[in-house]
Amino acid sequence: MAKVKVVTRILEANERIAAENRKVFDEAGVYVINLMSAPGAGKTSLLEKTIEGLSKRLNIAVIEGDIAGTQDAERIGNLGIPVIQINTGGACHLDANMINEVLEELPLKEVDLLFIENVGNLVCPAEFNIGEDIKVMLLSITEGDDKPLKYPLMFQESSALILNKMDILPYTNVDINKIRNDASSLNPVIKIFEISCKTGGGMSEWTDWLVKAKVSNQRSAGSEKLNTDS
Amino acid sequence: MHEVSIALSMLDIAAEKCRESGYNKIDSIRLKIGRASGVMTDALIFAFDVVKTDTIASGASVIIDEIPVSGSCKDCGRDFVAEDTYVLCCPRCGGMAFMINTGRELEILDMEVS
Ligand SMILES: Nc1nc2c(ncn2[C@@H]2O[C@H](COP(=O)(O)OP(=O)(O)O)[C@@H](O)[C@H]2O)c(=O)[nH]1
Ligand SMILES: [Mg+2]
Ligand SMILES: [Zn+2]
Ligand SMILES: [Zn+2]
Repeated sequence: MAKVKVVTRILEANERIAAENRKVFDEAGVYVINLMSAPGAGKTSLLEKTIEGLSKRLNIAVIEGDIAGTQDAERIGNLGIPVIQINTGGACHLDANMINEVLEELPLKEVDLLFIENVGNLVCPAEFNIGEDIKVMLLSITEGDDKPLKYPLMFQESSALILNKMDILPYTNVDINKIRNDASSLNPVIKIFEISCKTGGGMSEWTDWLVKAKVSNQRSAGSEKLNTDS
Repeated sequence: MHEVSIALSMLDIAAEKCRESGYNKIDSIRLKIGRASGVMTDALIFAFDVVKTDTIASGASVIIDEIPVSGSCKDCGRDFVAEDTYVLCCPRCGGMAFMINTGRELEILDMEVS
């Protein structure tokens, strides 16, 4: 028997493909948002509202990840937006390879913002990079104020936390300040929004932030180019 | 939750490395898994036992080195090892200006082959 050194990160293959995807997105000038939440928190509803608010200003495309079914892609397709449905066939998260396989089907050169709706799950989508610029997490307030401490990784990895279904706050005993405080302790730079996809409340703060994030990303990409040219 | 896909990646990496080194049987694989890696070690071993069937790793056992979450604090200048899988503040001084050093590992360290 012989001993062989390996010292390889098990998710290395995923990281490599994620970096490839990211390069394709950067070259096409697409800003990519990996949208994660538990099932039913309102990811598809958020996309519908966000598209409504931004599609006059920006070209948007969507990749829908679900274990099975095409309902979400149909909802987005109805808005006249390019959309691709990925069915993971049981897998609880999207990985970089699944995204890589559908890239050619999107008109990336004409797209400004690409939303990737991940599989509904608070655990593992946060561990698999898919080539996104930012991760955004959605939490519907009925899920409870203990979630940041129970699922810390997703809160730590996300650039923004969107608290959805604020319209039903009066009918719950959820403590929004506790969610805010715990999420901020886990991730001091996380940006928190309170919205309702039903009433549209809070939506413009979120879309304004998103547009700014995209623009500042473009600027830094531009300056990188300048640096390498000189 | 996705221990099966992790077990499959693990098998790919190990099998390739084994053949590359000129051997055709894996006897054991040693992993380094951080407590905050999100992987449940029992579930991973179970998943690996399923996916290794009829491969060069069919007889391989899995040894796991569990790595605790640790960090260093800028407020008090000390290092710490945490009991939990997440850290909200420095367990020594309560400060918030800390960096996590270990706990997210998910690596194959080495293996025995023949
Ligand atoms: N009351 C209320 N219901 C909402 C809101 N956002 C989404 N929903 C409902 O929550 C359910 C799940 O929404 P969906 O967007 O499909 O969630 P997804 O599984 O995360 O994509 C649907 O019945 C939505 O109508 C909201 O802000 N308020
Ligand atoms: Mg959906
Ligand atoms: Zn998973
Ligand atoms: Zn300290």
